[in-house]
Amino acid sequence: MEINRRNFIQLLAGGAAGIHMTPLPWKLMDDIAIWTQNNWPWVPKPEKGRFDHEKSVCTLCPGGCGIEVRKVGDRAVKIEGRTDYPVNPGGICPLGAGGLQLLYDETIRFTSPMKRVGPRGAGQFTAISWSEALATLAERIGMLRKEGRPEALAAVDGNRRGNAEGTLIRRLLESVGSPNYFRMPSIEDTYTTANLLMQGNPGPMAYDLENADYILSVGPALIEGWGAPGRVIAAWGRWHESSNGNGPKVVQVESRASNTASKSDGWVAPRPGTEAALALGLAHVMIREKLVDLSFLSNYTHGFEDWTDEEGRNRKGFRSMVLDGYAPAEVEGITGVSADRIVAIGREFGKAKSPLALYGKGKGNLNGSLLECMAVQSLNALKGNINKPGGAVVQEGLPVASWADVSPDAVAARGLETGRLNGSGSPRLPLSESLVENLSRAVLESNGTPPVDTLLVFAANPVYTLPDGGAFGKALGKIPFIVSFSPFRDETAAMADLILPDHTNLEKLEDVVWPTGLQYPFLGLSRPVVRPLYKTRHSGDAVIALAGKIGDPVAAAFPWGGFEEALKERLRGLAESPGLTSWDESKPAWETFARGRSVSPDYDSFDDLWDQLESSGFWYRPTHAFYTWLSCFRTPSGKFEFASGRLEQAVKAAAGGDAGDGLRKMGVEAVGDQAYMPHYEQTLSGDGEEGLKLVPYELFNVSTDRLPNPPFLTKTLFDTQLRKDESFVKMNPATADRLGLEQGERIRIQSDAGEVKARVDRFEGAMPGYLYLPMGFGHTAYGIYQKGKGVNPMNLVAAGKDPLSGQSVWWSARVRVSKA
Amino acid sequence: MKATEGKYKYGMVINLDKCTGCGTCTVACAAENNLSVIRDETDKQRTISWMQLFKVTNGKPFPDTEVSYFPRPCMHCHNHTPCVSVCPPTATKMDYNNGIVSQIYTRCIGCRYCQAACPYQARYFNWWDGHFPKGTERYLSPEVSVRMRGVVEKCSFCHHRLMRAKEQAYAEDRRELEDGEYITACTEVCPAEAITFGDLNDPDSKVAKLSKHPQAFRLLERIGTEPKVYYISSKDWVRRMADNYHPNEFQPV
Amino acid sequence: MENQSNASEKRPQGGSNESGGLLNSTFLPPFSLKGWLFVLAGLVPALIVGWVVFPMVLYSSQQQPFNFSHVVHTNPDIGIEGETEQELCMYCHYFREDGTFVGIPGMDTCTMCHDDPEFPYGQTEDEKIFLEQYVAEGKEVPWLVYSDQPECVYFSHIAHVKMGGLTCGQCHGDHGRSETLPVYKENRLTGYSIDIWGRNIAGYSKNIKPAEAGMYETEDDEQYLRTIETEQGEETYHIKMSSMKMDDCAECHTIHHQEQNNACFVCHK
Repeated sequence: MEINRRNFIQLLAGGAAGIHMTPLPWKLMDDIAIWTQNNWPWVPKPEKGRFDHEKSVCTLCPGGCGIEVRKVGDRAVKIEGRTDYPVNPGGICPLGAGGLQLLYDETIRFTSPMKRVGPRGAGQFTAISWSEALATLAERIGMLRKEGRPEALAAVDGNRRGNAEGTLIRRLLESVGSPNYFRMPSIEDTYTTANLLMQGNPGPMAYDLENADYILSVGPALIEGWGAPGRVIAAWGRWHESSNGNGPKVVQVESRASNTASKSDGWVAPRPGTEAALALGLAHVMIREKLVDLSFLSNYTHGFEDWTDEEGRNRKGFRSMVLDGYAPAEVEGITGVSADRIVAIGREFGKAKSPLALYGKGKGNLNGSLLECMAVQSLNALKGNINKPGGAVVQEGLPVASWADVSPDAVAARGLETGRLNGSGSPRLPLSESLVENLSRAVLESNGTPPVDTLLVFAANPVYTLPDGGAFGKALGKIPFIVSFSPFRDETAAMADLILPDHTNLEKLEDVVWPTGLQYPFLGLSRPVVRPLYKTRHSGDAVIALAGKIGDPVAAAFPWGGFEEALKERLRGLAESPGLTSWDESKPAWETFARGRSVSPDYDSFDDLWDQLESSGFWYRPTHAFYTWLSCFRTPSGKFEFASGRLEQAVKAAAGGDAGDGLRKMGVEAVGDQAYMPHYEQTLSGDGEEGLKLVPYELFNVSTDRLPNPPFLTKTLFDTQLRKDESFVKMNPATADRLGLEQGERIRIQSDAGEVKARVDRFEGAMPGYLYLPMGFGHTAYGIYQKGKGVNPMNLVAAGKDPLSGQSVWWSARVRVSKA
Repeated sequence: MKATEGKYKYGMVINLDKCTGCGTCTVACAAENNLSVIRDETDKQRTISWMQLFKVTNGKPFPDTEVSYFPRPCMHCHNHTPCVSVCPPTATKMDYNNGIVSQIYTRCIGCRYCQAACPYQARYFNWWDGHFPKGTERYLSPEVSVRMRGVVEKCSFCHHRLMRAKEQAYAEDRRELEDGEYITACTEVCPAEAITFGDLNDPDSKVAKLSKHPQAFRLLERIGTEPKVYYISSKDWVRRMADNYHPNEFQPV
Repeated sequence: MENQSNASEKRPQGGSNESGGLLNSTFLPPFSLKGWLFVLAGLVPALIVGWVVFPMVLYSSQQQPFNFSHVVHTNPDIGIEGETEQELCMYCHYFREDGTFVGIPGMDTCTMCHDDPEFPYGQTEDEKIFLEQYVAEGKEVPWLVYSDQPECVYFSHIAHVKMGGLTCGQCHGDHGRSETLPVYKENRLTGYSIDIWGRNIAGYSKNIKPAEAGMYETEDDEQYLRTIETEQGEETYHIKMSSMKMDDCAECHTIHHQEQNNACFVCHK
């Protein structure tokens, strides 16, 4: 049969017709459409499962907000606020909301114990077992003890003052025989020392700001991360409820038009570091115009009027000091705030019913200035607004139980007698507990065997966060053995020889002690809501296990099976003290607190309390004995002291009689009576001529402390803060014009300590003559979202020392600028 | 084209006096809705943020400078919804029954016409697939599908939360939702409680009352899109930012 | 006009010259018999490819990990409680407190009865596999889900079952009365089960038919009947979804006067 062309076409036509009579083309078309829509195998498909909510407490900052974690099966998918938590009824902060990116990003975490294999700082590690890791460290510590120099073990700890883990770490050093336990700086240091000097008890600062009717906020980033952000911003929202409008007037004192300054009812902008002068200028106005509580001042304070000491000498009082030295015109010269404004604010504060002066520096992750804090607190005292509702409340610490004392053996006892490496507690620096910066100096200045052989770093990233111009990182280079307990691949861990990774947020049982600034005693219990993802271990457990490996007598000081047991023993103290573990949502805790009635505990035994703590997550005591001015001050005079007796004693002890010498040793320039009172001294870092100054500033929506910044938070940034790999430095257009700088221009900023490059953002809200560089950028560690993004202003800040406390002056540094 | 009025009309009021510009709404939104993270989140022309913060200043010299913020979700325009009217494949539509403007990613062809049409810049294009560093796919929620590259996305008023609230109500034998039962993730998380969300059609709802506040206003009101997102501010200079006013045209409240 | 009539007359004439007879039609092309044979030779294999080979190639057949008998498990005698068939289903496929649907129940539901891996209730090999490989190991059974919808789809069971009053069978058919699990057929292109598109390879859905009184009287069919009130009065439908695509959903919504639920976001996420 002959097949011609025509037949062939007929065959094809028949086939084509046939195919169209089947589902094939139509179904294929449909399926290909579906295929293009759904077959993206590299786009993750979230697993389904049962939805759940678990309550816990956030541990990403000291604020300790209540959180509710939404889970699908075993996975945590969202962090939300808790509405049944007295501190933050519902809201949380950006870092809290983005916390899951820290938990789950494997590229920024340590997944098991590690040993360094590459050069220091390169971040090359190899996984080892926990028993090997602990044995290595235990052996090293054992060796130090054998060599008779246990003091060569040092620890830098970022835990909050008085939480169980920090106390355990301190105990480890004590039982080994080392006094060299250092806590990272925080605003708490300034608060407790100021309270000690003026009120006689080193308790936490407790501001009853919800019940105040006028708030003068000197320095704290009130709505940008200070204290418990969920608490302060909730109050803020309430004050601006347009329907009632009965909130207090809030005046922010800060040199930059921050969000807090802009959103407040008033903004006063003194030069950075002159806040004490401003506060005393306000005091001058109040005293001069008799807008003070004279009965409080005469009955319950010491050193307000001129007085006569035991030796019969006439001493100048606060009143004369302020009236003589801090007239508005003079203060205008120091601070740059007009005398009229000082008079106006002084009058407003003096005429308010419960005016509250708040002190802080930014978020409070770093220390403040002691003299400034005292000057601000004296404003509260002038109005008698101390230990009153709506005032600064005098509080003791949390009623937790102490563990049995450590009984050091001979080696440890000898080691404990050696002076602390940072000089704190010595005559030069009698008022400070921990000065990590001085530790690095001691190491860097040592010749021969470095004074620190083994350094343990807990819950901190000092290489990045310390305002020391990079000195800590250099000191690490001289320390033979460094152990990091960080869960994250941070800058300090990159220098470590051994990594014993801790759990991170949501994996860890932790006691969250007294959120900064809260007016009533509060303890939150952060319960793990997901099982640990990796081979990490709770640092508390790791310390106890380590002590066991070191052997007696160190092991004997840790009789607990694990951290939970130790924590429970500590929290037994709460059970013996009145408090509550539940909260009636219709009655805000600050309202209950102001009524000052006693509460009857809602638990009858420790086990009962623990069960409730585990389910509710908090213990608190929303009550207080107000107006107890005869008994609440524990100063030498038994009164609120404008002239600090304790400071005078310390100075005498330091100098052996020559007070002027003692004061100079403490970095105080003032002489005479005013040296013991809140007064103004210039605080500035860096030497050189008057000129441009740099102010590092914190952003609420960037993690500026030890934690990496979750990339979700970068979404909230503006490209005048960070663009690609460059930070922007804010400066007033007048300043920029003077320097000939356009918007976006690249500049080099130099200080004694170092140099960084940044781009210019011309911003009207920047004080002329000052450069504002954001903190939280410029990491050299972590993952692609953090590493190499912007610059760290802490590399430029160094050397300045706050008078009396000896802590760093990080809020202002001299710099030079040139085009890059 | 006037919309047929549906039974519900979900909307939002943002009190700018309360808003602290903290950005928690942006972060909570990103976490709730599986927003992708690109390699360089500082690239503001490429990054995706359904709830975007806009910063404004009063322009006065130091020390009278003030800043304020506009958190900007999708406005869910009720009238002549600009994106809907231009979308070729009907990948975006307004549900007249509740006023929510939807976006169906699998239907979107990536032409970006809607992005050009939106007067509020509320729409975002996925230039790349999201970048999920190892392990981070574990925080993704199954309630919202993860987008692929080449499609446009925008705020959905957390529509899945409406579904969630309805399921909860059904489980409790109710057909109607109480005021406050369905709220968006940004509303829920705002620490200052600056955001109120609810049914504008329900005269007793908080949001309906606040939307009639004398200081309430909407963005670009004159173009007639009838946004369902209202703002409240006691400051004239902030309210003036809502539109391009001629000199002397702005009427202070 | 003239040209046209010429052309129409020309064709049959040309045809009749070569073959004539049956194929000499006005509507068919003027092919010879041989020509038609070639057309058929193309047509028939194409039909076979399209109707028989294509479905075999398009779908892969997969077996479930082991067989599961719904008949055995819906027997009230073994302690599964429920007054109606629906309630029997919901003993395992239940709604959680938050209104979400459990779907294919997890091991926690299975082990409410099968709590001891050493103690089988029956004698089947399948139960043995279940006990040894899953209960004893504490592993979830990797069931292949016939009704698994694409990632972009949201579906609320409680809205349809509790509030809408649909029976399980109206969407899932006789699955609940089966003794064996059907072969799971996965579309190689889309990755979805054949049950989404419908087992009818032509893709026709005969989901909803008007039902007249007395038309369906067997007990089997009762679960598919549904009376809907309209302005005109009551209408009874026989609803048995044979596929689960978007149009199917819309069809049922329309019958039920639930057009507002055809909005995009109702089913998409």
